[in-house]
Amino acid sequence: MKTDIFKIMAIASTFAMMLFAPWLVADAKINGLMGTSFNLTARTGTIYTGEGNIIHVWGYTAGPKMQYPGPTLILMQGMPVTINFTNNLPVATSIVFPGMDVTATGGTTGLLTNEAAPGGVDEVTYTFTPTRPGTFIYYSGTDMDLQVEMGLVGAIIVRPMGFDHMMPETWRAYGHDDSLYDHEYLILETEMDHRIHSLVKQGKYNEARAIDYFPVYWFINGRNAPDTMLNDFHPLFPTQPYGGMVMMHPGDNVLLRIINAGRDLHPFHTHGNNFEIIARDAILLESVPGVSGADLKVSDFTTSVSPGGTEDAIFHWTGHGLGWDMYGHSPEDPPEMGEDPNDHGKPFPVIIPEQQDLTFGDMYSGSPFLGVAGDLPPGHPGLNEAAGFFYMWHSHNEKEMVNNDIFPGGLMTMLVVLPHSVPIEH
Amino acid sequence: MRLNIEIKRIQIMKSILIPLIILMLCTALPAGAAVFSQNPPDTDGIDTDGDGIVDNDHIYLHMSAGDGFVNMADGRLMYMFGFGNATGIPDGMVMMEQMLGSEFPAPTIKVREGQKLYLNLTNVGMMLRPDLFDPHSVHWHGFPNAAPFFDGVPDASITINMMSTFTYFYNIIEPGTFMWHCHVEATEHMQMGMLGNLYVLPKQDMSAPATSLSGFIHEKGFKYTYNDEDGSTYYDVDFPIQLSAFDPDFHDASLNVQPLPFALMEDKYSMINGRGYPDTINPAVLWNTASDEGLMDRPSQPVNSLITAKQGEKILLRFSSLVTTHYYTVTVLGIPMKVIGTGARPLISPSGEHLFYDTASITLGGGEAKDIILDTSAVEPGTYFLYTTNMNYLSNNEEDFGGMMTEIVIDDPYPLQILSLIYNEDGSATLTCYEQPGKTVNIEWADGYTPTPSWNQVDNPALDRVHHGDGTWSWTDFGTDPEMLGLKPGDVLSRSYRVVVQ
Repeated sequence: MKTDIFKIMAIASTFAMMLFAPWLVADAKINGLMGTSFNLTARTGTIYTGEGNIIHVWGYTAGPKMQYPGPTLILMQGMPVTINFTNNLPVATSIVFPGMDVTATGGTTGLLTNEAAPGGVDEVTYTFTPTRPGTFIYYSGTDMDLQVEMGLVGAIIVRPMGFDHMMPETWRAYGHDDSLYDHEYLILETEMDHRIHSLVKQGKYNEARAIDYFPVYWFINGRNAPDTMLNDFHPLFPTQPYGGMVMMHPGDNVLLRIINAGRDLHPFHTHGNNFEIIARDAILLESVPGVSGADLKVSDFTTSVSPGGTEDAIFHWTGHGLGWDMYGHSPEDPPEMGEDPNDHGKPFPVIIPEQQDLTFGDMYSGSPFLGVAGDLPPGHPGLNEAAGFFYMWHSHNEKEMVNNDIFPGGLMTMLVVLPHSVPIEH
Repeated sequence: MRLNIEIKRIQIMKSILIPLIILMLCTALPAGAAVFSQNPPDTDGIDTDGDGIVDNDHIYLHMSAGDGFVNMADGRLMYMFGFGNATGIPDGMVMMEQMLGSEFPAPTIKVREGQKLYLNLTNVGMMLRPDLFDPHSVHWHGFPNAAPFFDGVPDASITINMMSTFTYFYNIIEPGTFMWHCHVEATEHMQMGMLGNLYVLPKQDMSAPATSLSGFIHEKGFKYTYNDEDGSTYYDVDFPIQLSAFDPDFHDASLNVQPLPFALMEDKYSMINGRGYPDTINPAVLWNTASDEGLMDRPSQPVNSLITAKQGEKILLRFSSLVTTHYYTVTVLGIPMKVIGTGARPLISPSGEHLFYDTASITLGGGEAKDIILDTSAVEPGTYFLYTTNMNYLSNNEEDFGGMMTEIVIDDPYPLQILSLIYNEDGSATLTCYEQPGKTVNIEWADGYTPTPSWNQVDNPALDRVHHGDGTWSWTDFGTDPEMLGLKPGDVLSRSYRVVVQ
């Protein structure tokens, strides 16, 4: 009976995807909590996996429901932060903030920091001032091998001085213009061995700790593919508020804040183009700090962020140099904004086979051209009405593109490059 | 027992089905489906690859995608999905020639910046899995500013069905070490073996002789990894080194039409360019033993990974990993490694600063690539080993001493080859060899030989040698019979004679 429910859930989520083309509803920004004072609680709850399983999880939240991962805390450089922390888990827990100079008061003194007792009986207050901008992580500082696996982890973004959400010309990840961006996205990588979670649910903590770790679920922002492509705060995922769909226009700079919040490495590969890694662990890759900009940045098409580490990368895509006009123009047509003038009006180089010789992808628009939809066979779901260019972004240890035994899924999402005529809302 | 019977039944079914399917394919092609390669001529009148010729910039390849067999280094026959090279085969013959024609790794694609590649992909079907109707695709991993149409991701594009051909087009404008693989059902098709090497040579190779690259003088034949503009990525010889690995349980499940163990996937054969050690150093094309399955044996592993160079040369190793499960750390014992590129880009900053670094190991996850230069100028001639330091993968499944390892042979650039041996009338013998320019030669004979005093006392033969001025020298010795040493013209005096060249 239970299995049937899961199946219905899985079908429902697939169906929902078919109803709502993901690029129409996904969020082109990083959602989180902004401010200087936060009330966080650790709670138990459940999450849905990509193939319809349910896993018992512990997570940080600012609301009545557990969430996974914890709320993304969006802070300002130089502004002191206070986090009041309570604990509704069956065991003591805490928060550590690597890269921050934290003062903890209240609760009980633990090995790494002050801990809150189970049952919400006391409160720990963590205060710190983020002195430098960048991408950070927070997680449990108590019984970490078990508690971080259980889900007690989240992201921190520190805005640099001068950042103003209302003024796109100030959208920098760091103090330097080398980190200017048009859109920013969070890629928080985790994995899970669901047997540990079952044992913890039964209170068998020592058995859970002793297990020979063998993850079978891999996540971006707390969701498995294909759920990663649904929008933030989607009602199907009440405890997994953050999606992972990436959107941009040709020529845009996309800031990727990649965090490895798990224990294994994941080779994250971006189809479409290389990216440039401009910072590691919230430190700009610069030869003269504060002066040179990201002159030590490294270009790559796959990156393995160290466990507990963060990387900031700028992804840029223009479609230049294809050798054919990606808009399908005739030479006399007016050019698109940012189009490669050398390719303007150049004919498509090959003959496309007949429909019956082809298998059509759900996100294929029916034409090779950006913004031009074409014929699709009957029964095609037509998820790409705007005729965007879709690119898979995923763990290239391909085993991690699976939800337990079901392909496809796992640590995977999509980038869609939308034609300029389709706006991207922030 | 029950399972065995089941497998036997499937195999009998296959032996009936395969000829049937071949018959069907030959006689009952559905309307429209046909092998159709596109090889348009280069008529633009512009030389884009820098060789001065205007009509040779189009490159045509024809790959087949289907299934087949390879043998692992312990001899085990392994079912696989793979690509084969159908380039040059007439379209009408491709199905017949290429069914079960998978190679591992996939044929290496080596092209030059400025060329335009027409890559025809014909899906020849999976002969041993007639229940599957999988399309296949080509993903050029790392192609800059790619268009989804030619990117091979099945969700975002169209993919080719059995018995038909899809032509991929690549306008190649960036050099570097890439890789290619099928992206359909990616976890399955890649674990099954649809992966290969792909790299692009830079235009800088085509510079005019005596061109100064920031002071580095280019000469004809000089080769570079990237357009570095200063010669810093120069190399003499290059070798693609692709890491891959197979889980035999997954492959057996595929062959036997069983559920595929995605969650339990665990690689047991760790390989370099599709072979485990010691097959990696076997220069021969390896044939599979598909006759064990009632099929024809075929050449299925053409690529060896024996790395050879002369002392003093720079070796470029084009590393990539298309392993689907693990990270691998790889080292070269005894030769310093310099990382000069990653992700098909040079490690050179926007301001031209070198971010190269020396190391003793590199670690690669799936989909990662690194360019490594081995500078052999301070390396003694001999045999060196390249292997994974994840020692548990130095095995071919249960057979120890194998897996992800190969050899690097550094040859003496000035071998002490005997040009002639003349027995003189006075009883002496004259040995003539090539000069060793800029080198001092000391010859001692190896232990175990009981020499006459005069041969043994040659600690400084330079004193006795006669330099002829034509690049050779002779040395005349009395009282020795060189035949006792087993020496004859053409022999190279090697380490067994403890020749020390300094």
